Amino acid sequence: MVTSNMIFTGSRSTSLHEKGRALLLIAVSSFALCAPLASAQQIVIRLLDDDGTAVRDAVVELLSDSAVAPTSLGMQEAEIDQQNKEFVPTVTTLVAGGSASFPNSDDILHHVYSFSSAKTFDTPLYGSDASSEYREMFDVPGVVEIGCNIHDWMLAYIYVGESGLMAISDEAGEAQLANIPPGEYRLRVWHSRLDAPKNSIEQDIVIAAGGSEAVELTLELARDRRVRRAPSANRKRYR
Amino acid sequence: MSLASSLFSFRSFRSRLIVFLLALLIPVLGGIFYYVNTNNTEYTEETINSYLELGADVFDYTRDQQALTLQAITNSLTWDFGFRAAFAANDPATLFDAALNVMDRSFDSADMLLITDLDGRVIIDTETQGMDLLEGSWLQLLNAADADEDGHAEMIITIDGLPFQVITVPLYLPRQVAWIVGGFALDQEFVEQVKETTLSEVSIVKLEQMSGSENPDLEVIVSTLTRSDQSLLAEQMLFGDAQLASLQRIRAMSQDYTSLLRRLYGQEGGALQVFAVIQRSYQENSENVVQFRSLLIQFYLLVLVVSLLAVLFLARSIATPLSRLVGVVKKIEEGDYDKSVAVESRDEIGVLADSVNSMARGLAEKEKVRDLLGKVVSHQIAEQLLNNPIELGGEERVATILFSDIRGFTTFCEGLPPKEVLTALNIVLSTISDIVESHQGVVDKYNGDAVMALFGVPIKGEHDTANAMAALMEITQALEEMDSGLSACVGITTGVVVAGNLGSSNRMNYSVIGDTVNLSARLEGLTRLYNVSNIVSEASRDEAPNFAYRELDIVCVAGKSQAVRIFELLGVEGELSDSIKAEVAAYAQALNAYRSQNWEAAEQQFSQLRIKCDNSQLYQVFLDRIEKFKENPPAPDWQGEYVFASK
Repeated sequence: MVTSNMIFTGSRSTSLHEKGRALLLIAVSSFALCAPLASAQQIVIRLLDDDGTAVRDAVVELLSDSAVAPTSLGMQEAEIDQQNKEFVPTVTTLVAGGSASFPNSDDILHHVYSFSSAKTFDTPLYGSDASSEYREMFDVPGVVEIGCNIHDWMLAYIYVGESGLMAISDEAGEAQLANIPPGEYRLRVWHSRLDAPKNSIEQDIVIAAGGSEAVELTLELARDRRVRRAPSANRKRYR
Repeated sequence: MSLASSLFSFRSFRSRLIVFLLALLIPVLGGIFYYVNTNNTEYTEETINSYLELGADVFDYTRDQQALTLQAITNSLTWDFGFRAAFAANDPATLFDAALNVMDRSFDSADMLLITDLDGRVIIDTETQGMDLLEGSWLQLLNAADADEDGHAEMIITIDGLPFQVITVPLYLPRQVAWIVGGFALDQEFVEQVKETTLSEVSIVKLEQMSGSENPDLEVIVSTLTRSDQSLLAEQMLFGDAQLASLQRIRAMSQDYTSLLRRLYGQEGGALQVFAVIQRSYQENSENVVQFRSLLIQFYLLVLVVSLLAVLFLARSIATPLSRLVGVVKKIEEGDYDKSVAVESRDEIGVLADSVNSMARGLAEKEKVRDLLGKVVSHQIAEQLLNNPIELGGEERVATILFSDIRGFTTFCEGLPPKEVLTALNIVLSTISDIVESHQGVVDKYNGDAVMALFGVPIKGEHDTANAMAALMEITQALEEMDSGLSACVGITTGVVVAGNLGSSNRMNYSVIGDTVNLSARLEGLTRLYNVSNIVSEASRDEAPNFAYRELDIVCVAGKSQAVRIFELLGVEGELSDSIKAEVAAYAQALNAYRSQNWEAAEQQFSQLRIKCDNSQLYQVFLDRIEKFKENPPAPDWQGEYVFASK
């Protein structure tokens, strides 16, 4: 049965015990296989926060026990540009095994790094002339936090998904997934500020054949502490 | 005498001036001193207090500044890629070394570093306190940092009893993964540094409430004070919220400190409290107050000495001529008018001296006049003349008039040179005058050897007539005692007279006139006829009843129609001899027979008296009259009076 207007609230607790259980939950999930095209379904998930404001840049992923070929779904190659000392886009989804490149559109050098457990890497300082040289493979599912060692406020996330059934919520807080084979799934929602272990919550969901489903979720977001962009960063003093 | 008047009565003008000067000057000087001193002290204390506030501000500022430096250093550390990599490598030993490196390079700005993950698990701690999970103040610190937008918080936390100023910085990788806590110790070096900037003493004091003990243990952790001053501070200073806003005065070994309290850690009554005490010496700032005060006192002493000298000079300039004046006035009081005061000054004292001099001259002249007057007129009349306005005219008064004459004086003078006569007369008259005056009588005038004396004028006495009688007796006796063949004959009358100044407006004398005066002279004249030493009128006899009299006769004197009973004063009542009493009684009997015109009996009795008694002349007078009355009997209404046709 499809439950519409389901409301998930993430656990407030940050105790190790519950976090461990969440990790376990992810570990047992496996890749879903591709479903027959004829019975493709569409689902729209609308994400709101406590205040009823639309939540953008959240990632929704449908996980299924039935195998879905990772390579057959989702983006395999992504590009995270660096424009005006910011990463664009800030949230990118990749199916495990995909890769991302980090072109530099600015006229100064950047030093891209990640210490995330899903993928640790760092580039040397490079300029726009070396934009195409740095490409990283993301094999392990998880969230990779990308930063720049020169510009501490630059932050981007690569969501490395297990299935190909992923979408990023838009400005209206809506994430659309189409052509979903009917069946039982686990719906995972991740947001960088989601107040839950690993910033994600999961819920079982059944996708029925035919028609489209709309699900609305209210997310509890934590306050986000970020490095503020230095005021001088907007000046182009060294041009 | 009341206390006040006895307090302010002075023997000398000088001491009064000095006391008044001191009474004026001391309150004024004291008031000025009090005002200036109070204001000055207040101002100095204000200055000290503001310095102290400044010291406390600098203490805070230094702490803040160091905390900022620490934060900057720690912050830079988080942006170091090597440090990020080391953190990501999850190797505490490497991180520990990295932290020590930072501390080494911080120029003592960082004394400790502690890194903890977002759940409060300690990753490294350069102070190796052995905490796995943050607890107590550390947890408070991180909660505070967590609540801050930038993840910054600062606090004072004690590690092994030493207070540390600690700050927090989040570590971004690129999202926040950890907290870095940096701290520096508020140690000797720190307090010395604050002292260098503020010139204030700085101490950091720890109060630890041990379980089981009533009062918290107090320990001065670090201090710029000497050891002994530290223990005095610990003894005297009060620590608590109530004292945070106020200043405390602490007595140290060599000076006083005004002290300000800053709470660095803990709460009132908490198990552990840390305070900073910022102190400033009173002495340092009050030195100029002390100097000013001593200058003021010296100035006051100078003013007092100068004023006293001025007063002494002034007192001397007044007292010296005054005491000279007093001496002269005393001499004048004693009757010496010859001294005069020599005062040169032209002020009031000079005027006074002139007045005293002219007063002395005036008094001397008056005394001369009085002396002369006393010699010319009687003493009492002289007084009357001197003390009353002298004007013509008189008043009716009752007076007793004594007329005295000297019988036998003409015989006495025969063959003597006039000068000796005068000398003898003067002796007799002086004697009579002295007797009269000794009985409060007044000698009115001398007329040859006769003296007229007044009793009861000009001054009325209580026993004027009796005094006259006493004078009479004394005069009679005095002349008898002179044994020069002289005797006094005296007439006394009492009655209304007119008393006053007689004469012209330029020349007058005090005297009395009237019938009484005339009668007195007539009675004195009659003494020769009756051969008695005195005759007093009936009025006089009535006025002086304490004397013994005998009635002589009833007479009508020349120029008088009224008959007068005349008496002879015999002596004091009760002192008469029996023979005289017998004579007086026989005489009264004979007189009685005579008045009742029993001529035979009267003649017989008078004859017997004439034979028996001394005064044969008196009885002969009556025997002669009886002879005449036998031939020419008197008128039927005859009462016994005898009329004298001539004076």
